[in-house]
Amino acid sequence: MIYSWKRIIRFGLPLLTLCVLIEIFGGSIMQGGQNILINIPIFLISIPVINSVGGNIGSILGARLASGLHVGIITLDFKDKKMHENLITSLLLGVITYAILAIIIYYVALFSGLSMGIGLIEFILILLSVGFLLICIISFTSIVTAFLSFKRGFDPDDFVAPVVTTIGDTAGIILLFFIIGVVLL
Amino acid sequence: MFVKEMLKQSLPLLIFCGLGGILAGKTLGEMTDLLENIPGLIIIIPAVIALRGNISTTFGSRLGSAYHLGIIDADNLLNEELKQNILGSLILSFLVSITIGLLASLITIIFFNINPDPLKIILIVIIAGMLSGIFLTILTIIIIYLVFKRGYDPDNITGPALATFGDIITMFCIFGSALFIEVLL
Repeated sequence: MIYSWKRIIRFGLPLLTLCVLIEIFGGSIMQGGQNILINIPIFLISIPVINSVGGNIGSILGARLASGLHVGIITLDFKDKKMHENLITSLLLGVITYAILAIIIYYVALFSGLSMGIGLIEFILILLSVGFLLICIISFTSIVTAFLSFKRGFDPDDFVAPVVTTIGDTAGIILLFFIIGVVLL
Repeated sequence: MFVKEMLKQSLPLLIFCGLGGILAGKTLGEMTDLLENIPGLIIIIPAVIALRGNISTTFGSRLGSAYHLGIIDADNLLNEELKQNILGSLILSFLVSITIGLLASLITIIFFNINPDPLKIILIVIIAGMLSGIFLTILTIIIIYLVFKRGYDPDNITGPALATFGDIITMFCIFGSALFIEVLL
């Protein structure tokens, strides 16, 4: 037998506790801005979307970098052309996805009769700004994590996804409140 | 060419995950009354979703590796290896759920100066964490079984599928357990 529940817990608990600590920090920021989220519930709907898309794009980029490093088409160099190509594609992918989803979220909220408190253009502007900045942070995290773990002789596939989703969740929440503050207040 | 190819492959999946995020967000949007009545509830949400995402994707990828190692397959699925994995995942969920509940209660008292009901918060996290854990374990086994039957590589399918359905199921479970505890206590 290769699996035992004790080993799964012994290896899982430290990383998971750290991850949960960072996520609770993100949750605390939501608690601090709870009034905004309850008064303009479209932002409450947006949070899982912002985080899931960001996490996915970061994981895709990380997996591509990991494969590229393993195969040898990407080198451990921040000036690597192939890496830049992947980075630019992630940003493009992020902007298109967030733009499409922003429109869908807006009309879902509108048709379910929520109190809106914000116009379509303003909302798209906010979600796109949050999305673009988030993808920048996530891509940077993804590249650094992939490069560092590969350099140390670990498999980047084991590290990139958990690191990127955890940092991305908290960064997404902070950015959302920051951009709401800039645009609306 | 590269950019076009990657957009074609990734965009549909990203939009699909985003739609899942909207469903999770819509559920969160229905919870505004509960969020107002249970101080500290909003703090736990990113942490519980991340806990679930982490445990179920590692569970899924271990099952994928077990398949490649020839330890499990469609005809030999419910064996001791799988039982150890399920047990490990569920105990891990329980331990981390308690940690989340305690930390969220502490933060609410110290930083927000509002008196939460720590028992309520901890119970909500445990019920939501365990319930979503059980649902997602069953879902993972079903997905893995179907993937094995068709001879696909589980590594390509379980990750995105669990990430999308995981958020929705977890959000439903948080909503359900918060409602249950609010009515009960």
